[in-house]
Amino acid sequence: MLSFIARRTAAGAVLLFVISFLSYTLLSIPDTDVGRQLLGQGASQDLVDARNAALGLDRPTAVQYADWLAHAVRGDFGTSWFSGENVMRAIANRLPVTISLMVGVTLVTAVLAFGLGVWAGVRRGAVDRFVQVFAVVGYALPAFLVTLVIVLVFAVHLRWFPAIGYVGLTESFTGWLSTVTLPVVSLAVVSVAGVAQQVRGSVIDVMRQDYVRTLRARGLPPWRIILRHVVRNASAPALAVLGMQFVGMLGGAVLVEQIFGLPGIGSMTVNYTTRGDIPVIMALVMVSVTVVIVINLVVDILIGWLNPKARIA
Amino acid sequence: MKKSARVAIAALALLAAPTVLAGCSDSGGGAAPDSGPKALSIATMTLPQSLDPKDASGSALPFFQAVYDTLVKREPDGSYSPMLATEWKYNEDLTELALTLRSGVKFDDGTPFDAEAVKANMERFRKGGGAQAKTLNDVKTIKVVDAAHVTLELAQPNPAMLFYLSDAAGLMANPADFAKGDALKTKPSGTGPYDLDQNLTFIGTRWTFTRAPGYWGARLPYDTVTINYFDNETAIVNGLKTGQVNAALIQDADQQISAESDPKVKSTKQEFDFQGLVLFDRGGMVTPELRDPRVRQALNYAIDRKTMLEKIRQNRGEITNQVFGPSTAAYKPELDGHYSHDPAKARELLKEAGLGGGFTLKLPRIAAIVSDALAASLQADLGAVGIKLSWEDVDAGSAIKRIFTDRAFSGLVMNIGQSSTDWVVVGELVLPGAFNMFGYTDDTVKELLPKIQGRDAQAAKAELQALNEHLVKDGWFVPFYRMTFLHVSDGTVTITPQDGMAVPSIYNYAPAK
Repeated sequence: MLSFIARRTAAGAVLLFVISFLSYTLLSIPDTDVGRQLLGQGASQDLVDARNAALGLDRPTAVQYADWLAHAVRGDFGTSWFSGENVMRAIANRLPVTISLMVGVTLVTAVLAFGLGVWAGVRRGAVDRFVQVFAVVGYALPAFLVTLVIVLVFAVHLRWFPAIGYVGLTESFTGWLSTVTLPVVSLAVVSVAGVAQQVRGSVIDVMRQDYVRTLRARGLPPWRIILRHVVRNASAPALAVLGMQFVGMLGGAVLVEQIFGLPGIGSMTVNYTTRGDIPVIMALVMVSVTVVIVINLVVDILIGWLNPKARIA
Repeated sequence: MKKSARVAIAALALLAAPTVLAGCSDSGGGAAPDSGPKALSIATMTLPQSLDPKDASGSALPFFQAVYDTLVKREPDGSYSPMLATEWKYNEDLTELALTLRSGVKFDDGTPFDAEAVKANMERFRKGGGAQAKTLNDVKTIKVVDAAHVTLELAQPNPAMLFYLSDAAGLMANPADFAKGDALKTKPSGTGPYDLDQNLTFIGTRWTFTRAPGYWGARLPYDTVTINYFDNETAIVNGLKTGQVNAALIQDADQQISAESDPKVKSTKQEFDFQGLVLFDRGGMVTPELRDPRVRQALNYAIDRKTMLEKIRQNRGEITNQVFGPSTAAYKPELDGHYSHDPAKARELLKEAGLGGGFTLKLPRIAAIVSDALAASLQADLGAVGIKLSWEDVDAGSAIKRIFTDRAFSGLVMNIGQSSTDWVVVGELVLPGAFNMFGYTDDTVKELLPKIQGRDAQAAKAELQALNEHLVKDGWFVPFYRMTFLHVSDGTVTITPQDGMAVPSIYNYAPAK
């Protein structure tokens, strides 16, 4: 197990390096004049050139990248070209917001999707059809529409939750809970729908297996067969889907963060990318890739733990 | 047993994860944590580049006003009153401005605010390369007379100096911080009414200002002011309805209607920006056809402003043909309707100019300003008279370079604030500069400018109006309409609009009675 983790970590490091190089190169291609953007249209060309030189933008891309890498490996991602703030501090301020969403949605999805999926797969009939319809509709509805309706109904009209903003967990737990509930629900609709379908399918497959019939024939209580054998064996593919949903949420969070005015990584990525603030974008890319690598590793470990056959991989 | 214990532990670990991760730092956004009656939460869509005065610009001014004082205070009605300067006097021909400074004002570390501080600030601002640095271009020397007196010697008459000193160029920071590199960008240090609370500030999303102890000036009504940044007005309006936002400026007509639908929301209208096509290329450098005034007039006749205002802004605005706003001396009400929607006349003018077959006009399209509806409607109106309008999408990253550095276009559809100071309008739109990048001028303008420059706007009213009329009739611009902006509050705040500025000054908020 340890050597598996070590190998995956090493592969992750290589992946980070490759992605950082590709990202830096791609970010350097667009025809953006950072100095001009910083100083505005009224500044003289001399001032713009001076500012670009001060930022090191007059050097070849390879040199800029090497310089960035040398600092990045020491954990120094520099300061934002635009706001002058420390990049890591800026991200540390915003990461908890996005992580709150991602973890919240994953928990809600895990509980609801497994519940619905198992219920549908075991009971079949009307229950199954209901879950299937919910899954198809939930998956097909555009996320922004779901989010807007949720805001209008539960925040603007019913006033049960705040419509915008984020309260840090350390500031107030109830405040935190009330500000993340609606965003989490909005994101969870789609992911519950997707994962529930997957769980249902797997449960039906497993229920047809010979060993389940054998267990039944031996007179084991049905709930025990379902919990100990069916769910466990049906979980692996669902976990893989859940892991992908988690990663996909890095993208989905952008929309939800904008609608709820949440100061998270998603809205930060949009705001800084359009301005071409390379130190911030690079750090965001590194953080996102790290999250993806860690999640995939955790999912693989969990799957291996559930299913010994998969451990070799 | 063992397995279920493992499941339980895994579940606990998952539950604990958000606690641990979210606990590593406190995060920004939303309402102030303690929304008592003395806390104000303002929502904005303006992101200040930094909090260093040299990076200050008009729309981000409230961020700076919280921490820094300006030399001159600009009142809501546009008049000037003492702030860090208690008296000022222009010489006869507006080439020297003498300032008397307030005594006894100190920065937080005890550094006195004096004439040397003014000189240091203004010289740094002028050379700092910020977006507004150009406003001090005419300042030749800053002469320190004694600790309480400075004289600005101007290279040429400039009637807008007082406006600039009440704006970005007048912000005074502690000169002791100038040697500390980029410190002021994130740790502003001025003599202003508030201090930036570093613990409750998350740059880029939320800035919290707390009352500065021992502020020399009048006490503002709020103990804390929080400015929250949002990138869309939908979130702001929702926050306003549910009380997380106390005050905001709403530009979009649909969002204005949405805000007004809430009975609790109080709103005040203000016309500030005009939307229109700024033609840079009257000399015909990019599009030779534009050299002929008849072609520029044809553009003006071709546009159906009434329908545009109706469809795009739900009639929230006033049609205009002039770039000077109603509070300037140059403004002439009748010029708002100089060009009617007259496609036949436009075609005739084009024919007279030898362009019966039409021509192609390529304009950059900044999606934030030119909506799909606006783009399509301009294309249709101009197409109807034979002018083929082709849009080139420019993104936020490349817009400034393509438009202002490469000078790839003949004009730009944009929203421009209408200053109430005539010379500021002249400086921005008529003199060579960003919006007159090819430095175009003509005989009438050359003749009128010297008569305007050396005098107070009221004294030069006749010349200013003549200039304005000439710009309209010669088709220097294609203005569409002045847009009605809405200052909205959740009912707890009275907002006083600031003349000559879309966003109210930080001094213009008070608890509603």
